[in-house]
Amino acid sequence: MSEAAYGRLKSKRRNERTLNMVTLVVVVIFALLVLFPIWWIFRTSLMTNAEIYRYPPSLLPGRWLFSNYEKTLDIFTFWKYLWNTMIIIVPSCLAGTFTATLCGYAFARLRFRGKKWIWMLVVGSMLLPAMVTLIPLYIGWTRGLGIRDSYLPLILPYFCGGGAFNIFLIRQFIYTIPRELDQAATIDGAGYFRILFSIIMPAIRPAMIVVALFIFIGLWNDLLQQMVYINSKEKFTIALGLTDFRGQLKQDWSSTMAATCLSFAPGVIFYLIGQKYFVEGITMTGLKS
Amino acid sequence: METTDNLPKRRSRIHAGEERVAYICLIPAFLGLIFLTYLPLAGVLGISMTNWSGLTNPEFIGLDNYIKLFTVDPYLQDSIVATVYFSFLSVVGSMLYSLFIAVLLNRKIPARGFFRAVFYVPFVLPAVAIYVGWSWLYEANFGFFNFLLSEVGLNKILFIADSDYVVPSLSLIAVWLSGNLIVIFLAGLQNVPSVYHEAAEIDGANSWKRFWHVTMPNITPIIFYNLLLSLIANFQVVTPSLVLTNGGPGNASRFMTYLMYDQAFVNNRLGYAGATTFIIFVIIAIFTAILFKTSNRWIFYEGGDEK
Repeated sequence: MSEAAYGRLKSKRRNERTLNMVTLVVVVIFALLVLFPIWWIFRTSLMTNAEIYRYPPSLLPGRWLFSNYEKTLDIFTFWKYLWNTMIIIVPSCLAGTFTATLCGYAFARLRFRGKKWIWMLVVGSMLLPAMVTLIPLYIGWTRGLGIRDSYLPLILPYFCGGGAFNIFLIRQFIYTIPRELDQAATIDGAGYFRILFSIIMPAIRPAMIVVALFIFIGLWNDLLQQMVYINSKEKFTIALGLTDFRGQLKQDWSSTMAATCLSFAPGVIFYLIGQKYFVEGITMTGLKS
Repeated sequence: METTDNLPKRRSRIHAGEERVAYICLIPAFLGLIFLTYLPLAGVLGISMTNWSGLTNPEFIGLDNYIKLFTVDPYLQDSIVATVYFSFLSVVGSMLYSLFIAVLLNRKIPARGFFRAVFYVPFVLPAVAIYVGWSWLYEANFGFFNFLLSEVGLNKILFIADSDYVVPSLSLIAVWLSGNLIVIFLAGLQNVPSVYHEAAEIDGANSWKRFWHVTMPNITPIIFYNLLLSLIANFQVVTPSLVLTNGGPGNASRFMTYLMYDQAFVNNRLGYAGATTFIIFVIIAIFTAILFKTSNRWIFYEGGDEK
């Protein structure tokens, strides 16, 4: 290598390293900006209301008043809301993941008449905004079937395929499983369902976890449907409970922020558990479209 | 000759068993598509031509609801404007922000996985709690943002209580929430073959040129996907209006889905709300169609000039 070329390479390496340092600094700044609102909410939840209104505000609470949480839990029945939310979420996640897997398997592996048409129905529903069906479905559930103030209209849809997006995700993931595995099982005499349950399902476990997490997040974020279908207070979910709580206690910011932090907690815990799958899963949805 | 006769028969025998399994697997999803998606879509159109209040029997009134909505309704126009404004700010903001962060995270920096996780955190928090939490940051007297403003000597702003600022304020939250887009962009960036970069480097392209002429064309399909995702999501915005603003101040945050909710479930005008729903559907469909129509002009597909 000539002297000049070596020098160029060296200076390029040095440039690269400075650029990476600058990048790191910018990333750290943005990461702090993203986390800051969460910290501000959390620190408020540990302060007295007098401390909250002090000027200038401090970044840390003077005394960490975890007793705010006890006080808040007396009026904000978090555990009950959490329980109610779970009554909706757990069956929805299980059923949605299972039926999406069934459907995704059929599209990824099986040949049947009308495949193209049914697939178009699936893709079409992916583009259809969910709010469009709200009123007819409300009428169907409450007038047609007489189901009022019940979780069923929120849960049962997940027994029907778990959403086009999730079907799509499962199908994409099954494509990445080598077909030789199925074929080997077929030679051993396994039927299509056996292949699904003993070969495909274990192989696509990460995708199934992702689908479950997506359904979790979807229900977790929903307020509109819960508002429409649930009326009585003892059936309130976290979303409804917190909305109601804020409406009552507009000025008590430390309690309101404590209730907010309590509502954050389950999501954060689930995220920490499933983080790896989360990132993997979203990555898949983006790449194979 | 025998074999050619037998072949289709054999194939269809394989099909029979396979097909039965396939249809069994599809039953739940198919029921869902029919009863929870496409029939309700048709139902909206039907309901929108009645004067149904949900209490009395519906009466067919043709296009009256639509005519009323477009001529005398005090909210529809403001509502469309607010929604388009919010969607524009949120989509553009979150696309720029998430692409920027993804490009940074795509460089060789330490603890990349950790930072990726940090940027994703807002996405896993429940929406209601996010809006309640941010409403404290936006608070008129003691909120954090007003503290910043007074520190730099500016007047206080009411943020979500001010009709000029409510939509940008809510859009900022939407941008903050767009961690899922970052993860998708990052995956796309990591999929750009490094040989392209090396080739461009040998040709003397600097890093900006490489980004613009190598990276960008390669991630256009991802850009399209993210655009579509955030467009459909942001057009349906409703939670902040339900939790914080009730559509106000004035009509500044009376987003279309909130308008529909208000008509149907607060004012018991199901037929009228059905017409609103259908109008929203058409508006979102138009924007989606525009996106699809223009897409083959700017999406670059690898290995094909034939489109």
